[in-house]
Amino acid sequence: MMADPVFWTALINNVFYAVVSVIVQVSGALALAAVIEGLRSERLRGILRATYFIPSAISLTVAGLLFYFIYEPELGLLNGLLDSLGLNQLTQAWLGQENTAIWGIIAMSQWQGFGYSTLLFAVAIQRIPSELYDAAAIDGVGGLKKFWTITMPLTREMTGLMMIVTVAGSFQVFNEVMVMTSGGPNNSSQVLGTWLYRSGFVRNDFGYAAAIATVIFVVTIVLALIQLWYGRRRRVEW
Amino acid sequence: MKRRTFLTTAAAAAVVTMISGCGSTAAAPSAADPQATVDYSGTLSVLTKFGGDPLQPYFEKIAKSYQKMHPEVKIQLIQETDQSIKDKTKTLTASGALPDVYFSWTGNWAENFVSGGLAADLSAVIGPDSAWGKTFGAASVDAFKFDGKYYGVPLYNDAKFMGYNKAIFSKLGISVPSTFDELLGVCAKIKSAGYEPIAFGNKDGWPALHFVQQLLAYNVPAAILAADYIPSTAKFDDPGYVKALGQFKELADQCTGSGAQSNGVLYSTAQQALASGQAAMYYQEILEFDNVDAPANQISKDGFGFFQLPAPSGASGDSKALEGAPEGYLINAKSKNVALAVDFMKFVTEKENASLLSSAPYGQPSTVLGAVDSSNSSASVAAGVEQINKADVLVPWLDTANVPDVADTWLSATEGLITGNLTPSQVMDQVRKASAGAK
Repeated sequence: MMADPVFWTALINNVFYAVVSVIVQVSGALALAAVIEGLRSERLRGILRATYFIPSAISLTVAGLLFYFIYEPELGLLNGLLDSLGLNQLTQAWLGQENTAIWGIIAMSQWQGFGYSTLLFAVAIQRIPSELYDAAAIDGVGGLKKFWTITMPLTREMTGLMMIVTVAGSFQVFNEVMVMTSGGPNNSSQVLGTWLYRSGFVRNDFGYAAAIATVIFVVTIVLALIQLWYGRRRRVEW
Repeated sequence: MKRRTFLTTAAAAAVVTMISGCGSTAAAPSAADPQATVDYSGTLSVLTKFGGDPLQPYFEKIAKSYQKMHPEVKIQLIQETDQSIKDKTKTLTASGALPDVYFSWTGNWAENFVSGGLAADLSAVIGPDSAWGKTFGAASVDAFKFDGKYYGVPLYNDAKFMGYNKAIFSKLGISVPSTFDELLGVCAKIKSAGYEPIAFGNKDGWPALHFVQQLLAYNVPAAILAADYIPSTAKFDDPGYVKALGQFKELADQCTGSGAQSNGVLYSTAQQALASGQAAMYYQEILEFDNVDAPANQISKDGFGFFQLPAPSGASGDSKALEGAPEGYLINAKSKNVALAVDFMKFVTEKENASLLSSAPYGQPSTVLGAVDSSNSSASVAAGVEQINKADVLVPWLDTANVPDVADTWLSATEGLITGNLTPSQVMDQVRKASAGAK
């Protein structure tokens, strides 16, 4: 396994997936949830929450197919848009090249999962007593500082949970990769899940596939334990 | 590959589970007799590769007719597409749920089921001297022969040809190229006229392998190619390999509209480009002819023609070899009713049903003698079958001729060749490494 370059490509792709997902689906979603919950109009808040949640209601397989056609080099919307903006030097086969395929899939996945995380953070923010924000406002505290000193500490539990779910989920990615690239081209977008599948069901090496499954199990459980331990130490009660 | 004990244990457990699963449906030995008296009752499961339009209704019609004749029999169809059939078959095999009758390619794919004891020996009923066997072309029956025994029911012939738009060729004053270099010259002329010379979509990986295998047949002597399919004798050191891959790269770069971006394009998009008159050529299986040349398509008005991918001058392989093979069905040796399965497949290959298969909209040229002619098939399918019958040698598909991990390496490395990340020599390094690992 250590000598298999595709295994390392897959592992690194999973790490990329996890890093981007933590940035977008945890940090980004928390910031967006805070902005939405800070709006005065309840109606507007509802509309925005629903709008951001819509992609999460679409199955990953369908979303993958949808984005496959968006990325299609000859007929796809993305290259068409770039062409119409005069940026035709940027057009390319997003899923057909080694250096862009995995990033195209990761981008789709963020679009699909971002709204769900935002909704969960919005619920966590709603649970924070409004008196804390009122007191901060009386003290003349600005929006950014309120976010930093009230929202972030008091949503730490949800943040910890989202970190576990997001990171563990990033090491279990399968559907979207299979639908969009099957791990290609030249195995550049393989993740551990698809390499496990390909090793077992395409290359007929079930023993190796089982070994990859064990690696996925160990990685996800270790990451979850580290995060649980870290989150417990810094829990805030009110 | 070093593994810790627990990893090995986990891997072994998976394999044991798979093997025990396969064995869980073992039937009494007498049930595997294809000549036994047919018991016209019970359920017969059939895994086909005819999922989706326009092929799906074929087996539905056949099953309906068969059930009408034998009301106590229920035919349970599992219809998969060309893309999904491999995974489905492997999953069903691993879970011990392989249907009574199941689709198979020739070559290593079928051989795996034979060596795994999952294909019934049909020599007594479909061997060349049997009444049923004599209804097929001899080469088609031979394609499923392993260790002197006959295991498969060949259903239709398939081969790869370059389809082209006659109106575009005529407008540009181009004649069908007779050498590979001429083809490259033709591409330049077509490109300068504003058409896509050869439509090509390699999202699924195998379209490139079809080009590569035909070029390998031209560049590598047949005996070496055959020895290299088997890991124990494989060397993959003939210079023809690198030469063939270089020719494919030239073709991908100079002749296809998508070039290095082809891995992002679906083969069906490429097929549509020829059908709609945007592209001058598209490399396709004979099974696609009727779909491309359908009356609603522009090419039907422009005129559809086809030719074999021309061989490079002076190549050291067989310049007359044609890439193609029959496709057919195996009968599960562990089926509880092998005789009923044989009877159903005899019904499928009766001349009337074979003719139906060969006619539009199905357009699958039957392997049954006399079932394909211009009265029931399109002119292009009938002409294609004639070329298949005339071919000196049929070369099997690259991904079914090689063992799975070597085939998978061919597929991924060729994708790298298209994008320019791998050179022909690097592709061969990867193939050699995979082959050495499979020994």
